[in-house]
Amino acid sequence: MRWSLSSLFLFGFLAVVHALSSSGNRLLVVLEDGSEKDLYSTFWSDLEARGYDLVFESPKSDKLSLFDLGERAYDHLLLLPPRSKGFGPSLSPKNIVDFMNKDGNVLLALSGKSTTPSAVSSLLLELDLHLATDRSSVVVDHFNYDTLSAAEKHDVLLLQRPGPLRPDTKAFFDGEGVLALPRAAPHTLGDHALIAPILRAPATAYSYNPKEDLSAGEDVWATGSQLALVSAMQTRASSRFTLLGSVESLQDKWFSATVKAPNGKETGTANQDFAKQLTAWTFKETGVLKVGKIEHHLAKDDLTAEDLNPTIYRIKNETVFSIEISEYSHDRYIPFEVPANDALQLEFTMLSPFHRLKLEPTARTENSTIYSTQFTVPDQHGIFSFRVNYKRPFLTNIEEKHEVTVRHFAHNEYPRSWKISGGWVWIAGLWSVIGGFLAFVFVWLYSEPASAKVKKTQ
Amino acid sequence: MPSASSSAPAASSSSLSSGPKTLTQNSSIYDIAHTVWQQYLATTPQRTMLLDAFMGFLVLVGGVQFVYCVVGGNYPFNAFLSGFCAAVGQFVLTASLRMQTSSAATSSSSSSTGGAKGKGGKKVVKGDAGEEGSGISAERAFADYVFGSLILHFFCINFIN
Repeated sequence: MRWSLSSLFLFGFLAVVHALSSSGNRLLVVLEDGSEKDLYSTFWSDLEARGYDLVFESPKSDKLSLFDLGERAYDHLLLLPPRSKGFGPSLSPKNIVDFMNKDGNVLLALSGKSTTPSAVSSLLLELDLHLATDRSSVVVDHFNYDTLSAAEKHDVLLLQRPGPLRPDTKAFFDGEGVLALPRAAPHTLGDHALIAPILRAPATAYSYNPKEDLSAGEDVWATGSQLALVSAMQTRASSRFTLLGSVESLQDKWFSATVKAPNGKETGTANQDFAKQLTAWTFKETGVLKVGKIEHHLAKDDLTAEDLNPTIYRIKNETVFSIEISEYSHDRYIPFEVPANDALQLEFTMLSPFHRLKLEPTARTENSTIYSTQFTVPDQHGIFSFRVNYKRPFLTNIEEKHEVTVRHFAHNEYPRSWKISGGWVWIAGLWSVIGGFLAFVFVWLYSEPASAKVKKTQ
Repeated sequence: MPSASSSAPAASSSSLSSGPKTLTQNSSIYDIAHTVWQQYLATTPQRTMLLDAFMGFLVLVGGVQFVYCVVGGNYPFNAFLSGFCAAVGQFVLTASLRMQTSSAATSSSSSSTGGAKGKGGKKVVKGDAGEEGSGISAERAFADYVFGSLILHFFCINFIN
């Protein structure tokens, strides 16, 4: 019994060491045609080398299910484009959305070679990603194509690796080299805060359906950088969905291909690196934030354990708040650095924020950064909360809320009257009234009129 | 100017008998004021004058505090309230003491001035009866005054913290 327990421990430990993703290593690959598996062998061996347990299933398989006894049976899902009308009943759009709601991550690859099934299109509609109405378009660009493999059709796009999405976000997909995206199925993005494009088509690209004649192409659906080739969607629970327009770019052939832009020279592709970045982000190896300990206390020097995280503060207290944040990077937690143009903010709120303050890094441990700020509690008593609400593209969401009570001054906490020099005139006024009264009483008592005595003697 | 207004009836009542100088209809304002002041000095008993002086002092103190509040702001507002209210409250208490004691004093003073005319004895008896009619002796009024003032001071000192 003891032996089995310890071996369980050992295996569990091995599994932890082996798993590189922060959220598990069970990866289901849905591949319709088993013979196609060999086309992606480098991609699979890359994933296995990073610790994933790959399970290959055909969408037609009867035993295929994303859930087991109501729990996720896999941590991640990789969907290659189906040949038939869809992925089948066990991978219906509803099941995939349920899988994401249970913190499963999905990478969906499309291909411009074949028509995308309507089941996939309706899954994407759930996420506010839109395919062309004919669902069989490819992106064509007459300026950024590969002259070696697509001299006629111009449907192998050569693109630079994407930089940061905005100046205030981290670049998870940047690097040197050229990406080759053969026969990419384009999509457009809805107006949605949870969606972020990873790679857009160049301005000279357009969407073209090779099965129709050119006259139908006059009614253009979207052109140029309206077309996204790779996009990401992160749910509020931080599960991730990535849509890759060109499944062929993951093939061995394009990992090691030599390409040549119209006016460039021959180079290798950076597809392998990009595929690694893309799967690493989707399967939560990068961009995962973790909140460590959160501390708040009065700003004073000698702190004891009882002074930490009190449940009650007084108005106008000087208060220090600190939060420890780590970022998962491939195989371990590293200190999280806020991008240069961005700010991590603390809100001190009661219904609406009374303070919104920038948290500054004050200390750094081996695998976390401690951000803190000091502020004066507002002159308003009630139930307040310390909130950190940090939601950025490509980073998991941080939403922390810690309630505290803010009381007013106790009766003996006000400064004494003479401490306030502005009141000295009135204090002097009061005491001169009292002094005048005493003097008056004194004089009154010693000035009894003689007439009274006269009266009495009479 | 409560001292002047309160002394006016006393002056008019006694001006018939022992005015130093009679005013005509076209006397100057200065003459009127001077006559009133002379009457006041001549006819007011010492204790009433003491009361009037103290009330004048209270008006001065209260006025200074109010002006300071207008000019300098009311920041420790409780200090302003207690300082100013102490002056006002003391003034009110002193005014009521004056009402309770000066009626007795004027009657006794008129009796002392009228004593030369020969009906002093009756007047004194009447004055005593008047005092008993109001039911409050000068000593009792003074004791009430001291008691009320102490309560006022207690509250004001407490409130000014």
